[in-house]
Amino acid sequence: MPFPNVRLSNRPLHFIYLCDCSGSMAAQGKMQALNQAIRQSLPGMAEVAGNNPEARVLVRAVRFADRAEWHLQEPTPVQQLHWRDLEAGGITAMGDALELLAGVLQSPPMEERALPPVLVLISDGQPTDDFDAGLATLMRQPWAQKAVRLAIALGHDADLEVLQQFIGPEPPGGGRSPRRPLQASNATSLAQYIQWASTAVVGAASMPASQVQGAAAGNIPLPDLPPTVLDPTDDVGPLVW
Amino acid sequence: MSPAWLAPQACSVLGAAHGRQGKPCQDASLSTELVGPDGQTLQLLAVADGHGSSRSWLSQRGSALACAEAQAAVADALSRTPLSDERAWRQLLREGLAAAVHRRWRAAISADWPQHSPDPAAALEPVAYGCTLGVLLLAPRWWGCTGLGDWDLVAVDRGGGAQLLSQEQGIGGLGGGEATASLCLPQGETLWAQRAQLQPLSSQGQLQALVLTTDGVRKSCASDADFLALCSQVIQLEEPQQLRRGLEQITRDGSGDDVSLAMALRAGPGSNPRPRGRRATLALAGAALALAGGLVAAQRLLQRPTAPAPDPVLLQQQTLCADPTRIRANLTPRRAQLQQLRRDPAAAAALLAAPQRDPLGALLARSQRGTLTACPALRQQLATLWRETGGKMPAVEVRADERPPAGDRPAAPGSR
Repeated sequence: MPFPNVRLSNRPLHFIYLCDCSGSMAAQGKMQALNQAIRQSLPGMAEVAGNNPEARVLVRAVRFADRAEWHLQEPTPVQQLHWRDLEAGGITAMGDALELLAGVLQSPPMEERALPPVLVLISDGQPTDDFDAGLATLMRQPWAQKAVRLAIALGHDADLEVLQQFIGPEPPGGGRSPRRPLQASNATSLAQYIQWASTAVVGAASMPASQVQGAAAGNIPLPDLPPTVLDPTDDVGPLVW
Repeated sequence: MSPAWLAPQACSVLGAAHGRQGKPCQDASLSTELVGPDGQTLQLLAVADGHGSSRSWLSQRGSALACAEAQAAVADALSRTPLSDERAWRQLLREGLAAAVHRRWRAAISADWPQHSPDPAAALEPVAYGCTLGVLLLAPRWWGCTGLGDWDLVAVDRGGGAQLLSQEQGIGGLGGGEATASLCLPQGETLWAQRAQLQPLSSQGQLQALVLTTDGVRKSCASDADFLALCSQVIQLEEPQQLRRGLEQITRDGSGDDVSLAMALRAGPGSNPRPRGRRATLALAGAALALAGGLVAAQRLLQRPTAPAPDPVLLQQQTLCADPTRIRANLTPRRAQLQQLRRDPAAAAALLAAPQRDPLGALLARSQRGTLTACPALRQQLATLWRETGGKMPAVEVRADERPPAGDRPAAPGSR
């Protein structure tokens, strides 16, 4: 007899941007740089997705200013994604964004066989709402606990402490680590971080190796940061933010 | 082989993604028969899944050693414990085998480490060999399982229904986790008890087969319903090569992970396996070890009915009609098969010629020929399946000799 005819499926990999769209993002070209960085990262992300057919990379985006809302609500295959520019204006409802995110990290709508999602929080300031409540709501979701959580701090006014809380416990020892907020001080370094998250991290998350229970490295071993962004003091380009 | 179990086989296949990345198969599997001092046979199936991360860079060796040491530990236990002592085996599954396998596996990787470590003098890193292990024991009067990690065990009943009997709780498996328990964990030995169970066959009259898989199989299926449907159908495969090709398809169209599957059928009523000589001393007989993707040369015993076997299609109907809630779940996965039957009448002939191989398929074939009489719920669901595949189920042709007795028929107008 023929082999059983059942539905086989690759595993969805949800990649979700959480973008700070507060008024300060309009200054010094940060909003423009973020839009450009995400747009320019898409071909590379699509190529990584194409090289890992066992994962179905789906992109979404949340914008938060006076309140949080979906900028790209439908999980969109990266190959079909056309980035629509974000616009700055308002305050920093980061806690609201985490609440909004928590709503989609439940099962359902999350597929039972999905890969651990990748969540990228990008901010240049401090939350103006109840960040702790939002984070607590988010982290009650098992999918949030298992997610790869990254944070990019734009400029020196970003609240590194809350970004670290979003990522999780700070790794021991000093030095740079993807498990600490990535500090982008100009458009070039921001683009490099976005590129890294959307390619190297997506590649690692697409075909995860099993992890030993309780492993300190997290659910998905993160790839190394590229050398050019290992240290902000060695960053390319001028310090503008 | 134990006369209670037939056609054991196990197979591990390199994952499609691992193949592209030039990685070895980090799964291992095992199907072997052990004979105790009293001559009773115990079938052992095992699957192991090496973690494959950069930290577990020798996990393909870890999984192979896990299967080998599980076999040695079970053989040792069998030499000292009669299979009739279910209480003792229950305890072995909960604790004794865990301790023995961990001790043996640790010794094995310690011996292996100097040959593969870049620095032979370096301290052993058990995580380098990290893997899961699922063990299934099939005795003449019971079956039992134990182990740790994200393997799955499914029971298939004689009606074709499938049920998940054991899965990892809480850390891995479904729900997004890639974390799993591992033989390399210091506390790993304590985790076996929660996966251990022993079930007397006397209480499982409907059990037809047990299917043991690594997580790559379940994660390749679109849903749990598909996974269970796969398990209920895969037991009907007759050739090991069919299983290997199927597993290759699963990893190619699914998760891309290495995949392993081990299974055995329970001998049915009237089956009479080929008689085998028995040895008085402990022996390994008919062992076939599939390591690192190697195929187990499974031994398949022929069923020789001693009495005319009941019509398998009728048995299938009776099972489904006895529990109509299962009809839809069993028929829905057969949509593609029905489409094939409609395209290729020869396929129907093959199913009807050997209905015992695929009773549900033969049932579909009978519905195509208008020779199926079934309960209303089954007829209704079959008609729905036909509609969903773009056709209409042929009307049943009831011959005079197939009509129910007059007392069971509605009275014709005017007859009373």
